[in-house]
Amino acid sequence: MDGFTYNNIFETKGIEYLAIIAFFLILVPFWVLLNRQVKISKQIEKALGILTSSVLKVPQGLFFSRLHTWTHLEKSGVAKVGMDDLLLHITGEVSFNKLIEPGEKVSKGDLMAEINHKGKNLKIYSPISGEVIEANPLLSKRPEILNEDPYLKGWMYKIKPTSWMADTNSYFLAEEASDWSRQELERFKDFLSSSMGKYSPDNANVILQDGGEICDQPLSELPDEVWQDFQKDFLSSKTLCHNANCFRNRE
Amino acid sequence: MNDQILPIGKDNDGKSIPKFLWSELKPRGKWLTPFNIISIPVICIGLVIIVIRFWKGLGAVTNLSQEVPWGLWIGFDVVTGVAFAGGAYVVTFMVYILNQQKYHSIVRVTVLNGFLAYVFYAGALLLDLGRPWNVINPIIGNNFGTSSVLFLVAWHFMLYMIAELIEFSPAIAEWLGARGARKILSGLTIGAVIFGITLSTLHQSGLGALYLMAKDKIHPLWYSEFIPILFLASSVFAGLSMVIFEGTISHKVFFDQISEKNHKAQEGIVHGLAKICAGAMFAYFFLQLLVFIHDKNWQYLNTPMGYWFLMEMIGFVILPMMLYFYSYRTNNQLLIRIAAILTMLGVILNRLNVTVIGFRWDAAVRYVPTIMEIVVTMTVIFIEIWVFRWIINRMPVLRESPEWAKKEN
Amino acid sequence: MSIDRRHFLKIIGLAGASLAIGKSFGAESEKKGEVEFKAMLYDSSQCVGCQACEKACAAAHQLPEPKDEPKVGIIRKTSETQRSAINIFNTSKGEVFNKTQCMHCNEPACAAACLTQAMYKTKEGPVIWRGDKCMGCRYCMVSCPFDVPKFEYHSSNPIIQKCDLCYDRIIKGQIPSCAEACTAGAVIFGTRRGLIAEARKRIAKSPKDFYEDIYGENEAGGTSNLYLSSVPFNEVGFKTNLQNTSYPALSKGFLYTVPSVFVLLPPLLLGIHEATKNKPSNSEENE
Repeated sequence: MDGFTYNNIFETKGIEYLAIIAFFLILVPFWVLLNRQVKISKQIEKALGILTSSVLKVPQGLFFSRLHTWTHLEKSGVAKVGMDDLLLHITGEVSFNKLIEPGEKVSKGDLMAEINHKGKNLKIYSPISGEVIEANPLLSKRPEILNEDPYLKGWMYKIKPTSWMADTNSYFLAEEASDWSRQELERFKDFLSSSMGKYSPDNANVILQDGGEICDQPLSELPDEVWQDFQKDFLSSKTLCHNANCFRNRE
Repeated sequence: MNDQILPIGKDNDGKSIPKFLWSELKPRGKWLTPFNIISIPVICIGLVIIVIRFWKGLGAVTNLSQEVPWGLWIGFDVVTGVAFAGGAYVVTFMVYILNQQKYHSIVRVTVLNGFLAYVFYAGALLLDLGRPWNVINPIIGNNFGTSSVLFLVAWHFMLYMIAELIEFSPAIAEWLGARGARKILSGLTIGAVIFGITLSTLHQSGLGALYLMAKDKIHPLWYSEFIPILFLASSVFAGLSMVIFEGTISHKVFFDQISEKNHKAQEGIVHGLAKICAGAMFAYFFLQLLVFIHDKNWQYLNTPMGYWFLMEMIGFVILPMMLYFYSYRTNNQLLIRIAAILTMLGVILNRLNVTVIGFRWDAAVRYVPTIMEIVVTMTVIFIEIWVFRWIINRMPVLRESPEWAKKEN
Repeated sequence: MSIDRRHFLKIIGLAGASLAIGKSFGAESEKKGEVEFKAMLYDSSQCVGCQACEKACAAAHQLPEPKDEPKVGIIRKTSETQRSAINIFNTSKGEVFNKTQCMHCNEPACAAACLTQAMYKTKEGPVIWRGDKCMGCRYCMVSCPFDVPKFEYHSSNPIIQKCDLCYDRIIKGQIPSCAEACTAGAVIFGTRRGLIAEARKRIAKSPKDFYEDIYGENEAGGTSNLYLSSVPFNEVGFKTNLQNTSYPALSKGFLYTVPSVFVLLPPLLLGIHEATKNKPSNSEENE
C-alpha cells in the first residue's frame, strides 16, 4: 500500500468464498465414494465376528446332505425335507420360493427351491428322489418360520421317497453331523477372508482372525457377488465333486 | 406445576396433511396461566411500539445516538441471545460426533431452541435496521460486502438456520406422518450437524470480531484482539447453562409428555453438563487472564470500570465455576441450577460490557436503554416462548417418537 | 489577532494567487493509467472562520444553512443535517480554527464494515455512501474511529450523512464546493501525493508557524483529508491516540482465518465421527 492509489486488502474474499462452496460440493461425493469400496471388506470384517457352532442346533435323527439340506423319514413313510440351521444363520432372514408342486416327481439333486434375501438368491437342491406330496403352506404366509424353526415347523416339502436308502447312504447323522457342521463353519470363515481379499481394494488389508468368531447372519449385508461365490462353494454340485459320491450334475 | 390439562400431542396417522394441520391449529390448554397473563399485555404493548418505531424512526423509541449506534437490541437480543443458542452445536457435537448417547434425549429440544433463537433474534435484528427492506441486498449480491465481518455473520445466520431446520425436520416429519420424508431427512442429519458446528464456531466468534475495529471505543479491559475467541469459549458454557435452565422449566411444565425413562435420565444429564461447564469456564477464565496480562490491563483495575470488571470476573465467572465444580462433586441438583443462572447472568454481563456498557464508556451522554427498548426485547422473547410451547405441545420433541419412527432407528 | 496593513496585503495577494493556481495541486503527477487519490488539505493557519465552506456545502447538498457560529468552549459537530463544521479553540498560540468532516481514509473502516458496499471507497479517493444499497445497520458508525457517519434517527427512511468530497463534482473535473468557496485559501484540493508535498513545503518554509506533522499522513493508515496546524493537534480537537495502521487490518486476522476453518473443521469432525461410530456408546451411565 503506497497510500496514493486504491488498494483493497480483501480483494480475493469473494473468490475465496466461492472456493469454499466448491469445497463443500465436492466433499460430499468425495466422502461417499471413499467409503463405498471399503464397505464391502468392512462388512466381511464385521462378519468375522461371533457366529459359533454352539449357536447352531443340530438335532439327532435327521440326515444332513453336504448341501445343507436335511431329510427325515416319518413313521407314515413320507419324508420331510428342509434347510439346515447353519445355512439359515449365515444368510439371515430369507423368503422362500417354491419351485416344485405336489404331484411332481423329483430326483436327488434337482432344483427344488430358491431362497431370497433383499434381491440376493440361493438355489436349493433336493436331497432325495420321490414324489412331492405337499409344500409347507405356512412358509408363504410366514417365511420367518424358516429361520426360527428350520427343523420342525420350517420344513419345506413332504416327499414320498423312492430310493431312501441309496439317497441317504452318504449323509450325516448324529455325531458326524455335528462335527461336519463345525467343519463347515471353519470352511465358511476361510471363505469370508478370501472373499474380503477378492473385493477389498487393498489386498494387504485382509485380516484373518485365527480363533476369531463370526457375528450372526454374516452374509445378509454382503453384496450379490459374495452370494454367488457362496452358492458355488457350498451349495452346488461343485461342492460335492470332492469324493467319489458325485451324483448327476444338474444346475 | 402439573395442573396443565393439556392432552399430549399425537402424530398424524394416515390423515391427509392439510386436514391434520388444520386440526392442529386449534389452541389447547388453559388460557389464564400466569405466563399468559404476563406475556399477553407485554406482547400487545410491544407490537404497538414496533409500529411506532417503523412510523417515526428509531430515535422515537430508542436512546441510540450518533456516538452509540448499537444498543440493547443488538447488544442483548443478537449478541447475547445467540450465545445462549450455542447449546445446540455443543450438544449435537457430543451426540453425533463424539457418540455420547447419554445426551440423545435432549438433542431435539436443544436444536429446536437453537433454531427458534436464531429465527427470532434475526427477526429482532430486522427491527433494528434503518432500512429493513434493503436487507436482501447482501443476500442477492447488491453488493456482497465480503470485507465485512457482519456480512459473514449474516450469511452464517441464514445458513445455520437452514442446517438446524434440517436437523429438526425429522420431528416435523414424524408429526405429519411423512415416513418417506423422514427417512431422507434423517440421512441428512450428520451432514447438517457437521455444517452446523463449523458455522457455529465461526459466527459465535464472528459476533466478537464485529467489534474488532472499534478499538478506541471500547474500554481496554474488554477490548482485545482475542474477543472472538473469548466469545466462542463463553458460548459453550452459556449454551449449556441455558440447556440446564430451560430443561428444568420444561420438565416441570411439560411433565406429562416426558417418558419415565427420560425423567430419570434428566438428573444424569444435568450432572454431566455441569462437569462440562466447569471445565469450559476454567479454560475461559485463564484465557481472560492471558489477555489481561498480554494487554497489561492492571493499570485500569483501580478505576470504577476496573471494579466492574473484577466483579464480572470474580462474581460471575469464578464463583459459578466453583459452584459447578462443587455441585458436580456432590451431585447437588439445586446448586447446579443456581450455578447455571449465575453463569447466564455472567454471560449477559460480559456481552453487554463489550457491546453497550464498555462501548463509548467515555461518551458525554452514556447510553441507557429506554423502557420501550426493554419492552420490545421482552416481546420478542415472549413470542418465541409462545411458539416453543405450541411446537412442544404438538410435535414429538419432548415426548416419544411414534412407533414406526422408533423402528426405523 | 493584530495584523498590520502590509502583512494583510501580503496575505490577500497570496490568497488571490492561490485561488487562481493553487486550488488544484499536483494534477500533473498522475501515473500513466493508474488513478491517484484525490485529497483535500486544510491549512488552519489560513482559516479565518468565515464559514463560507459550511454554507457552500449546505447549499450544494440541499441541507439547511448552519445558523450558529464557532465559539470557544463549544464543540460544533457534524450531524445528520451538516457535513462539515468549523470550530475555534483557545490554544497555546492563540485562537486556532479547525474544520471537521470525513477523513476519507485510504483503507476506510466504514467501507470494510459495510456488508452491502453502500459505504464505498472510490478509486479516485473519496469514500461515498450509496443509498440504494444501504440497509441502515449502522455498522459503519460502530467501526469509524473518527465517528464520522451520522444517522437520521427520526426518519422512517433514514440516510447516512457525511462528506463525500463532492464526488459527483470531482468526476466531472470540478473541485469540491468548500474548496471553491474558501477565499482564505485554507481549503485546498489536489492529489494526495501533491498535497503532502505541498504541506511539507509549507512546514519547511516556516517551521515556527506549524506543528511538524501532517495530520492524516499516517493516522489510521493514512487519510485523504490532510491537516496542517500551528499547534499540536490535540489542542484543536483531534484524536491523537489513533493507530497508524488501517482499521480494517484489525479484523483481517479473523477474516483470513475463516476459509481455513471452513476447510479444516468438517473433515476433522467427519474423522472423529468415523472413529467413534462403532464404539459402544456411553448410555445411561452416570460418569
